[in-house]
Amino acid sequence: MVQMPDHTVTSFDVELKDIGRKVVEMGGQAERLVADAVTALIKRDISVAQKVVSLDAGIDQVQRDIEDKAVLVIAKRQPVASDLREIVAAIRIANDLERIGDLAKNVGKRVIAIEGEYHPQKLVRGVEHMSDLVLEQLKEVLDAYAGRNESKALDVWGRDDAIDTMYTSLFRELLTYMMEDPRNISVCTHLLFCAKNIERMGDHATNIAEVVYYMVTGQVLPESRPKADASSDTTVAFPGRTA
Amino acid sequence: MTSAVDPSISIATSVAARPDAPPAPVKLKVEGLQFYYGQSHALKNINFEIPEKRVTAMIGPSGCGKSTLLRVFNRMYDLYPGQRAEGQVLFDGVNIVGKELDSTVVRSRIGMVFQKPTPFPMSIYDNIAFGVRLHERLNKSQMDERVEWCLRKAAIWDETKDRLNTSALGMSGGQQQRLCIARTIAVRPEVILLDEPTSALDPISTSKIEDLIDELKRDFTIVIVTHNMQQAARCADITAFFYLGELIEVAPSDVIFTNPKEIKTRDYITGRFG
Repeated sequence: MVQMPDHTVTSFDVELKDIGRKVVEMGGQAERLVADAVTALIKRDISVAQKVVSLDAGIDQVQRDIEDKAVLVIAKRQPVASDLREIVAAIRIANDLERIGDLAKNVGKRVIAIEGEYHPQKLVRGVEHMSDLVLEQLKEVLDAYAGRNESKALDVWGRDDAIDTMYTSLFRELLTYMMEDPRNISVCTHLLFCAKNIERMGDHATNIAEVVYYMVTGQVLPESRPKADASSDTTVAFPGRTA
Repeated sequence: MTSAVDPSISIATSVAARPDAPPAPVKLKVEGLQFYYGQSHALKNINFEIPEKRVTAMIGPSGCGKSTLLRVFNRMYDLYPGQRAEGQVLFDGVNIVGKELDSTVVRSRIGMVFQKPTPFPMSIYDNIAFGVRLHERLNKSQMDERVEWCLRKAAIWDETKDRLNTSALGMSGGQQQRLCIARTIAVRPEVILLDEPTSALDPISTSKIEDLIDELKRDFTIVIVTHNMQQAARCADITAFFYLGELIEVAPSDVIFTNPKEIKTRDYITGRFG
């Protein structure tokens, strides 16, 4: 990355850097929240789950903070070109991170809801594996943001289909479990939502990748990216019946 | 740098907020223009096109050559020995830098408005009639009509219709500047050159002039030199960035102010110039 010279007005640089720092900080918070939510799910740890639920408010606060600061910079400095893209990117990324926080919080709530119920290890491991991928994507895209690295962002953007594929297969498995024994339905439905939430986090990571790419290059990525979430048209036949 | 113009962007067709706007023909075409103030080389091999009935803004730091170029369009440099231009500026295909055209003819077809309002010390009516009388013979009612027409065009008719015979010097700065624009329009030019027309005005008068520029581009080709980048972003369909006598980049304003191609342009418009 070419180092950009500083603004003639020093306080403008201070404000921009402050916003950038806040986004990175928020990214770190979101990452931790997702990791904790997944840990709570896998280990059935209610106290971690409760912590996740309560910590989400902190992320929301940082998002409002970033938005306020960004609006103020626009009002005061009328940023253009790369500065403008930087500000717009900060607002949009903060939005996506806030959504990721909400999704993590929702996983935490579900962990609390299914306390004490049957725990299909195999499925939980499936969710764990998927969330490893999502966390990796999130980490990479935040690195791409911090380093203003458009090719790294592009890598993240092209890699979401692995998560989608995994989600589709989890979806099928969960349906099968539910059919096998109606007593599984409650847990499996919650797990299904947890899996969906984690899959959505991956989508937000690709959104962030698009924003980073735009911020650095000024170009918008094409509409179509590799997608493999086929759950919307997936059905599983009930045993003994033809579909 | 081979060319300041990005070949992937067709200026004439991509112009303007209005996507349905038809492609504009070229009004002024600058080809290999060099300009010298004595020994000093002020414009270096400038090539670009100004489309008809569009607003073209020229921006850049002081001394970059943007006002010089404006002066070339109007043959202002003729008045000063030692200043010379080489190359071509084709105005509807006719070179105005050469001797083909008389400079008074050039100036009646390419009008200019300056940074500070320069009303003549005479009545509002005569400020306008003065220039018209140099070029045309009109009777009283025709002249009255012309005065009203251009005052209306310059959006100042309502404020002046009851005081046409009072001195123009009694008007506010913003009104004086709009009177100067009316005076420029009065001889029915095709191109209007504006050299920092609002730098001496308050924000309200500035908005009125900007609004007027939007109106005027229906009938006239407008070239504006401005230090106010936001003004260029607001008013201009096309923006050209000059630096040290060179044209660095010219593109539709939406491109220049969101995603300029040249690093120098970016550094200048974002306020990073050292």
